[in-house]
Amino acid sequence: MSTRSWTRLRRAVAACGFTPATWIPAASEGRAEEATIRPARLLEDLPISGHAVGAAEPWPGTLAFLDGTQRYEVMAYAGASPVVVAEIAAGVLERRDRQLHVAEVARRRLVIARPAVLSRLDGILEGHIAVALPEDEPAHPVHDFQLARREVDTERGRLEVEVGRRYRSASGAWLIVDGSLGESLQWASDPRMVGISKSHATLPFSDRDLEQYLRLPAGYRSPVFQPAGHQVAPVYSWALRLWPWEGKDLLHGLIRVEAAPTAETLALADQLSRWLLAERAPVSTPDPRWDRLLYGIRAVEEYLRASGER
Amino acid sequence: MSASSLIGRVVATELKPSTPHQFHFWTARESPVGIGAIVRVDTPGRQVLGIVTDGFAYSDLLTPIHDVIGADGDPAAAAHAPTERSEIRLYSAAVLRQIPEEPLQPVPLGEVHLAGDADVITALRMDAFTQPGRSTGIPVGVYAAGGLESPIYLDADFLLGPEAAHVNITGVSGLATKTSAVAFLLSSIFQTFPAQKGSVAAVCFNVKGPDLCFLDQPGELSDQDRRLYQRLGLAAEPFREVRYYAPYKPDGINLNTLRTHESLAGNTVPLVWGLREVLDYAEVLLNKDDVDAKAGAFIDFLAERVVGRSFHDVTLSDQPLEVRSFADLEDFFRRIFEFMEVQSKGSEVWRNHHMATIRKVRNRLGNISVRAKGLVTDDGQASDLPWGRMPDRSLHVVDVAGLDPLVQDLVFARIVSKLREHLERRDLGVDHVVVFVDELNKYAPSDGQDTYVRRMLLDLSERGRYLGLVLFSAQQFRSQVLRRVVGNAGTALFGRMDMDEIATPGYATLSPATKAKLAALPKGELMVRHPHFTQPLFLRFPRPAVMAGRVGVERFPPSPDLPFAQAVARQLRALDSAITAARIEALIDGRREDDVRRALHATRRTHPDNVLAFFSAQLGKRVEREVATGKGVTGLKKVGDPYER
Repeated sequence: MSTRSWTRLRRAVAACGFTPATWIPAASEGRAEEATIRPARLLEDLPISGHAVGAAEPWPGTLAFLDGTQRYEVMAYAGASPVVVAEIAAGVLERRDRQLHVAEVARRRLVIARPAVLSRLDGILEGHIAVALPEDEPAHPVHDFQLARREVDTERGRLEVEVGRRYRSASGAWLIVDGSLGESLQWASDPRMVGISKSHATLPFSDRDLEQYLRLPAGYRSPVFQPAGHQVAPVYSWALRLWPWEGKDLLHGLIRVEAAPTAETLALADQLSRWLLAERAPVSTPDPRWDRLLYGIRAVEEYLRASGER
Repeated sequence: MSASSLIGRVVATELKPSTPHQFHFWTARESPVGIGAIVRVDTPGRQVLGIVTDGFAYSDLLTPIHDVIGADGDPAAAAHAPTERSEIRLYSAAVLRQIPEEPLQPVPLGEVHLAGDADVITALRMDAFTQPGRSTGIPVGVYAAGGLESPIYLDADFLLGPEAAHVNITGVSGLATKTSAVAFLLSSIFQTFPAQKGSVAAVCFNVKGPDLCFLDQPGELSDQDRRLYQRLGLAAEPFREVRYYAPYKPDGINLNTLRTHESLAGNTVPLVWGLREVLDYAEVLLNKDDVDAKAGAFIDFLAERVVGRSFHDVTLSDQPLEVRSFADLEDFFRRIFEFMEVQSKGSEVWRNHHMATIRKVRNRLGNISVRAKGLVTDDGQASDLPWGRMPDRSLHVVDVAGLDPLVQDLVFARIVSKLREHLERRDLGVDHVVVFVDELNKYAPSDGQDTYVRRMLLDLSERGRYLGLVLFSAQQFRSQVLRRVVGNAGTALFGRMDMDEIATPGYATLSPATKAKLAALPKGELMVRHPHFTQPLFLRFPRPAVMAGRVGVERFPPSPDLPFAQAVARQLRALDSAITAARIEALIDGRREDDVRRALHATRRTHPDNVLAFFSAQLGKRVEREVATGKGVTGLKKVGDPYER
């Protein structure tokens, strides 16, 4: 179903002579990631099969959660090339006295199309940011859409970084980010930021090591390692099993934690893991990712979706 | 939080849509909204006022098992979760009023505010009858929510007629809510009933204990009560003009009431009726099995031709007979039986009435005089309510608590019938009379045989408002009262209710939350239904400024039954405090008790300036005891035995 708020824009676009369309991709709210193995460098002399971090401990003081959302749809075609509209949002919820409060929120609306199309739409894109697709290849509806989707991902990442920066300028509290810290130099160097990756599309080990890595028992963590890859900034990382996986799936309850690439992180890995174990409750059901999705992160997602313009 | 601050927002979904009569809104977890709170929805061009009827709270938890998992099965651990789950407070509200009222539309999405004083007046349509100068509003309590205490008024035109009338109160026994509510409401009526609407009085039947026995005495009030009185613009004072009526005990001299403390005797008067008063309502006492057509005809004959008239029948007496009391009636029957036994020549019929019928009527009427002993007098003179001269704002309490239930019916039936007669003739002294009857399920039960009292209550509830005769009734179980009687009550009050009662079909329109609130309603709070209010409303009322029955009995303990002479002296002292017991004892020494009673009743009725002289005169000249001093009968002359040889 098309969103009500884009109806006017769709009409205006159609009035410019483009072919109206309504197509919302099935996974318009998730981020695409390619499955791969990128061997990491171990930083601790510990078995990859992991070690127990100890009993869960409540996170002391104020804790904040940062996440972002995106949704997009094709609203028209200019010839064979799609005109994509998107809404991206990022926010921080801060936990004080066990209650979550909104600390930072930002939203953007994007129109993504080839430059020639955008120039024809000039004047009717009020409230939207125009994002131009590359024109080095002939127009192709699927290819252009994939490019547009990538732009949405990128813009959302930028917005999350911006919101994180705003929050950090106002608070020195611990901040948990949904995703990788490596997307931002500032994040990666922040000693009080933790990134939580639920996706294991990119894995740090292979073969026997990978098998051990993926069979961590509940309450265990892997040794700290430094992921390789195309990240903007280096981080330290380790895997932590929140829930028993036996009888379910190798990835059930498995998260990858990221923190600043410092000696302090190495010293804090167990402590941070114990704090994160405490964040298992309340569970994030009915989200299907509840075994890896921290409640605070889910609350940010819920807030952004519920408060977004529909 | 201020009274009209923003507290929520209307939400409407496909499953829970807004309608013209209902809407839903959410609030913050900490909000002053509760069941019964009045709220205002503001949208451009439309304002909606509603009352909260139900509340819901839920979290984002899909199933309880997820909470168990999150806490590792340890309830204590669940409380230590670092983040509290998101939780919603969702309320359902019933629409009280929409502005504009036409076209009637579903409640729009909008901001929800807690109602202020002006909103409450508008929501309950009290603006139609509370304008200064022509107000017909009768304060009934305050609506309290979120720190707001708004006075609530009932429309006198719908409370005492002619538009609608009658009040019915339901509530469990033991909390004194029903009695307190009636006492407070009567006081409010007496203080605020507009003069242009006429005069008003009340007649209350005290059917149990000392409940209504001290309405003329000040009660203890808390600061909260006084504040409520001030908020309602009422004076916290007991009833100014109260008169108590109680029959005598079977001894005919001690009053059958708990209000016998000597200091309260000034406005406590005997309720005494003669044969005429009883016979007119014989139907109340005699059920259909007793009074068949033949018996009815003979009773009519007695009422129309004999009682209170000069009846001349040479078969009974050479002189005209005067039947004014039960004693006279008994003598009348005796003469009939004697005539039939001696001179009827085998006939079983006297004046077309069969002997069996006459005997039956005699037995039944005789039975009444026994059961109602203390209420009926042998001298034929009644001591009654002030028919024709009932003062405005006067309260008349008839204490029938100690009477046989059948006699209670008689008292009730006759007084209500007399009120009706006088109101029809417009010569009662007041334009409106409130009759308060407790234990209505006893007098007008939904099942059981049709009685005179039940028919009378039904008639009163259906037609009384045209006459100004208003029924204030109370009972524990509304479902057990004749539906047409309670259904005719324009205003219904509900105190704390029994769950079994709330489960009956009569309460099906109430939401589960409203029912739950009713089942736990504290003393001093009521739910009210009134024609102007489109939904039931919870309100708080102050304790009546009168002495509670139990306190009154402790403060004014009933006097023990006194010996005859002392009881007479006490009653006369109520008329003249200078009279001493010794003087009365000397005066009545040797007199027949019936003669003394007759003199006492006459004195009380007349209320003479010189009580003692009047009483003495009524006693009449003392007939001194005489000792026969004559020679007596001369003995037979001694004669010899004629058989003696």
